[in-house]
Amino acid sequence: MTTTSAPVMQVRDLRVEVIESGDQILKGVSLELRAGEIFALVGESGSGKSVTSLAAMRLLPSALRITAGEVRVGDDDLFELSEADMQTVRGERVAMIFQNAMSALNPVQTVGDQVAETLRLHTPLKGAALRQRVVQLFAEVGIQDAAARCAFYPHQLSGGQQQRVMIAMALACEPDILIADEPTTSLDVTIQAQVLALIRGLTRSRQLAVLLITHDMGVVRHTADEVAVMYRGEIIERAPVEEFFRNPQQAYSRRLIAALPDLTHFHESRSDQALLQLDDVKVHFPIRKGVLQRVVDYTRAVDGVSLSIGRGETYALVGESGSGKSTLGRAILNLEPVAAGQISFMGQPIQTLSRRAMLPYRKKIQVIFQNPYSSMNPRLTVAQVISEGMDSLGMGLSTAQRDERIAALLRRVQLGDEFSARFPHELSGGQLQRIAIARALAVEPQLIICDEPTSALDVSIRAEVLDLLRELQREFGVSYLFITHDLSIVPSLAHTVGVMQAGKLVEQGSAEKILTRPQHPYTQALLKSVPRVESV
Amino acid sequence: MLAYIIRRLFYAIPILIGVNLLTFILFFVVNSPDDMAVSQLGQKYVTPEAVEAWKRKNGYDVPLFFNAEAPGSEALTETIFFSKSVKLFAFDFGRSESGRDITTDVSTRMWPSLAVALPTFVVGIWVNICVALMVVMFHATRLDRWTVFVFVGLMSISYLFYIIGGQYLVAKTWKLVPISGFSEIEPWKFLLLPVLVGVIAGIGAGARWYRTLFLEEANQDYVRTARAKGASEIRILFRHILPNALIPILTGVVVVIPQLFMGGLLIESFFGIPGLGSYMLDAINAQDFAIVRSMVFIGSILYIIGLILTDISYTWADPRLRLN
Amino acid sequence: MKPLLLWSDILIYLLVFALCAFFWRLRHDPQTREHWRQVFGTRMGMVTITVILVYVGIALLDSLHFRRALEPVEGSPHGEVFYSNKVTSVLDVMLGGMGERFERTYSAPFALNSFEKQDAKNEQGQTYRDFPLLEHAGRHLAQPEERWSDVLDKSFQGLFWGLMLSALLIGLQWIFLRRSSYPWGASWATQGIVICLAVWLVSISRYYHVLGTDLGGADVAYQSIKGVRTGVLLGTLSTLIMLPIAITLGVSAGYFKGWVDDAVQYLYTTLSSIPGILLIAASVLLFQVYIDLNPDSFSIGLEKADARFLALCFILGVTSWSSLCRLIRAETLKISQLGYVQAAHAFGVSHQRILARHILPNVTHIILITFVLDFSALVLAEAVLSYIGVGIDPSMASWGNMINGARSELSREPVVWWTLTGAFFFMFVLVLAANLFSDLVRDAFDPRSSTRRSPA
Repeated sequence: MTTTSAPVMQVRDLRVEVIESGDQILKGVSLELRAGEIFALVGESGSGKSVTSLAAMRLLPSALRITAGEVRVGDDDLFELSEADMQTVRGERVAMIFQNAMSALNPVQTVGDQVAETLRLHTPLKGAALRQRVVQLFAEVGIQDAAARCAFYPHQLSGGQQQRVMIAMALACEPDILIADEPTTSLDVTIQAQVLALIRGLTRSRQLAVLLITHDMGVVRHTADEVAVMYRGEIIERAPVEEFFRNPQQAYSRRLIAALPDLTHFHESRSDQALLQLDDVKVHFPIRKGVLQRVVDYTRAVDGVSLSIGRGETYALVGESGSGKSTLGRAILNLEPVAAGQISFMGQPIQTLSRRAMLPYRKKIQVIFQNPYSSMNPRLTVAQVISEGMDSLGMGLSTAQRDERIAALLRRVQLGDEFSARFPHELSGGQLQRIAIARALAVEPQLIICDEPTSALDVSIRAEVLDLLRELQREFGVSYLFITHDLSIVPSLAHTVGVMQAGKLVEQGSAEKILTRPQHPYTQALLKSVPRVESV
Repeated sequence: MLAYIIRRLFYAIPILIGVNLLTFILFFVVNSPDDMAVSQLGQKYVTPEAVEAWKRKNGYDVPLFFNAEAPGSEALTETIFFSKSVKLFAFDFGRSESGRDITTDVSTRMWPSLAVALPTFVVGIWVNICVALMVVMFHATRLDRWTVFVFVGLMSISYLFYIIGGQYLVAKTWKLVPISGFSEIEPWKFLLLPVLVGVIAGIGAGARWYRTLFLEEANQDYVRTARAKGASEIRILFRHILPNALIPILTGVVVVIPQLFMGGLLIESFFGIPGLGSYMLDAINAQDFAIVRSMVFIGSILYIIGLILTDISYTWADPRLRLN
Repeated sequence: MKPLLLWSDILIYLLVFALCAFFWRLRHDPQTREHWRQVFGTRMGMVTITVILVYVGIALLDSLHFRRALEPVEGSPHGEVFYSNKVTSVLDVMLGGMGERFERTYSAPFALNSFEKQDAKNEQGQTYRDFPLLEHAGRHLAQPEERWSDVLDKSFQGLFWGLMLSALLIGLQWIFLRRSSYPWGASWATQGIVICLAVWLVSISRYYHVLGTDLGGADVAYQSIKGVRTGVLLGTLSTLIMLPIAITLGVSAGYFKGWVDDAVQYLYTTLSSIPGILLIAASVLLFQVYIDLNPDSFSIGLEKADARFLALCFILGVTSWSSLCRLIRAETLKISQLGYVQAAHAFGVSHQRILARHILPNVTHIILITFVLDFSALVLAEAVLSYIGVGIDPSMASWGNMINGARSELSREPVVWWTLTGAFFFMFVLVLAANLFSDLVRDAFDPRSSTRRSPA
């Protein structure tokens, strides 16, 4: 696509630093936005992409300071305006939407009032006309039953609807420019696709100039017209979207693109011997009501799941938030009481074992959690973290043997021996997750339950961790139950896939079958919203 | 909601029983009726006959929990526990050691207490919120840092100093109001100073706490959204931060509202206000356990009512809870 | 002389020892060190900790008690020594007999005459009423008019020796600490001021009553300094009694949940529903009754006062654990859900080990913050309790007793203001230092406040 129209917003040589330390956060960022086009700013966490947008609108947190640059909107340089003039620019000429709409909306004001506030600030509208305009905006962003929804509070709406309210609020005064900061990050994949489609549609119909900030290459691929890759406060590559994906110039850009799923190669299931077998497992949480708090009903978090995992095999359990997949993982670990059904490990039922009787199985079934930062006690050294299982499960090792084993494990997860004396808060998310893997491997388990182990990591790190998991599987023949909401990482890892919705396993089968010939409509919807880059 | 309130009321019963038992143990087991008789009779060497006579006169001549000699159900009722503690549940407070009817005393004395405590409470909250708002407007400037320092300084001053200082300055030196006392005619004259002292003494801790709440809200994402809409800082403060911060502020103070009836010990005794606070203090000084026991019970009931009111106010003030 | 160990003396030294051991053990923990570095990296932190340590030091010196041997009386068997009934502390010795210079009654700061007129006889044997000269103030003056120039003169001398002493002490510290990254300068400035003031006070007190005397004729400055021990001990001992209760109950409620949680919640709701001051008052009164009925258990007056003091600490501790317990319970509930506790469960780690290794170390910041915060609250509470008459034994020096004794004197004309001033000033400095210090500790240790400061 070639661009001809004049830019409506121009950022030139924007520089930002941390006041206290003087560290450079932005090192001269320049970009232009044009009407009717979406400009995507891509980068991983800490690359400075959000700071760019906040700095441009002069909304930086007080710890940061703009040191140089200019932001031109029409004839004005935003950095030269008074604060009062700036307030007429925000919301009227340049609007913003943020990630996580739930917290970005005022919890004690109705969504109608919040949209109306923008109109009150910038237009003379009042009374019935104002209300009518709000309803009209709600309808435009695709909120059903718009008139009634105006009186709702944010928490009464779903995540997707909240983000639509944010968009309505942004568009209320018909701005020329829209800055969207990770607008879909906290949404489930199916909703994510709808919101992106809405933004794309509005860009065309209203001739908006959009700055889309995201970490997700899939989003870029499907939405943007032009791409800029940010890395450590600088734009390192910039190109029209087609060209960018066809011929990325920088190695870093290529890594980001490579992290996108490849839906053509799959792993074959090899094992026929079941290691873990679940038969109609149910986990229920009681709902109490009334004066006496009697149990009137149960939340059926896991409602009759049957599956089996073979030796050395990976079973990917896919589902959106609240589908019960993590609860199932906890139930297998015997950390959650099972209401009905049977969990057998190597043919032995384990769901009713006492804390003590469970001990031999604790050695065989291990777990890796989603949040690497909270999964390690901040007061223990890495060596202490890793040795915890070896100590408590009585591996019968001498101190020297144990230290040797810790060193070997650290090397195996591609960290050096020197990490053993470090503390968790000194390490990055990717390093922590490697240590979590080492901790699990320390007791020589046969099954590791991986509960979203990569979802808190940046894409390039994510790929490394997944590679490591795959290597370890080849080397030690360990099985994985891989719990994830992200279908895109499934093909590189899983032999078998199960799709969970509302506590039930709606479909399961070999990875190839599920990803290429999904039967259940829910699986199909999930699959459709997976961003992908057709191989070139 | 109704079921919820009823359930909370049910929960209050074991707590009140606990309070009752605890005070009973304190007053009658640790300190046996014989000890009480000796200290009440106030002589160094008391004859056993005098002790018995005192116990009979004041109804302590029965066993503590179980009266094996009494017939039928009186085995339980003819005991000190029943006559002195269980009757509290029926709001029958009995008579003080000096023979006055406690129920009458309480019902006449709670109004002067309320007359001081309620204005102090309302004006105090209002002043603290205003001061905190003003400080928040100057957040992250030198002024802000100094006011926080001043708040901590105000907090570090003893309450007694505020009272004595206030009396000395306003009443004695400037002669604006009487030093102490209370009368039905022109009560405001006597109330002005205690309320003023109460409010000023509370500014340090109160305004500092509210400032933290405001700043916590000021860091929420929705404030950034409001800025991005083009709202001015003043508007953000009053339209967005204040309503959100008022929820924890108001629900946090609800618990003390019922206890306003109890009045303030120090304020009332210094300013000679005939409320429940000075009543308690006099009882403590006179070692009148009957009054102390009754006041403990009343105080506990008011606290539990406060807890229930807090829960209700939460669900009422916060739409996130109201509509779920 | 014969050393005398009061129970509170033993406890306070045990406490100091325990605290030192605790911090010694913590010194390897990098996070804790980081937090302390944040606290002491500020000038405010250095100043406040210096002030607090000065108070603690005074309290510790005042906790080394002994009874002086009396001069052998004529005719007593050889070698037998009798000891004074009066208990002296090391601090009393260091103050150079400040506490032994009694007057008859009130006198104003630096006054030469008593505050009240008294009958006296002149040389002719006639009775007249006048303000009598004080026993221990300005006796060395030839003319009363020389008083202020003499005060100034003595002040300069005191200040000079004060400066010399501080130069010596600070110089020694400077040699060892000059390369330290901490703002020691702020601490040295505070130390200098404190040393100069102390030297000045001790030296000039030999000639004048700097803060006057109280109703009983005792030196107010001396009384105020003696109040330090009471305030500091009450603040620390009560918290020390409260901590084990709050920690045990809070942690078990949050960790084991279920009926344990219900029971603990019931306990603290019940306890906090009783008006605190009444509960304390009732308990203290009951203890007083016990003391009165068993006078034989306490041989000397100070021991009785000390027993009552310890009882007060105990009662304050037992009645005030509920708020900390609530905080610890909530934090434990939160930590139990975190990955590392879950992982420990998955490793089959025993309950005791999880509690000791994962839960307790991660709630210490709450305990620490509460300890410092409660300290100042308790010092303030002491004054109120003493005023109500359920606080420190009147024979023991405390700020509350001083205020209580002096409050009615404001209605006199002219006003007796110095007793109140002395008590309020010493109390204010300690509480202010503790409050400012606790602010810093909370900023450093509370994870919520540290996220608040970091950029978004």
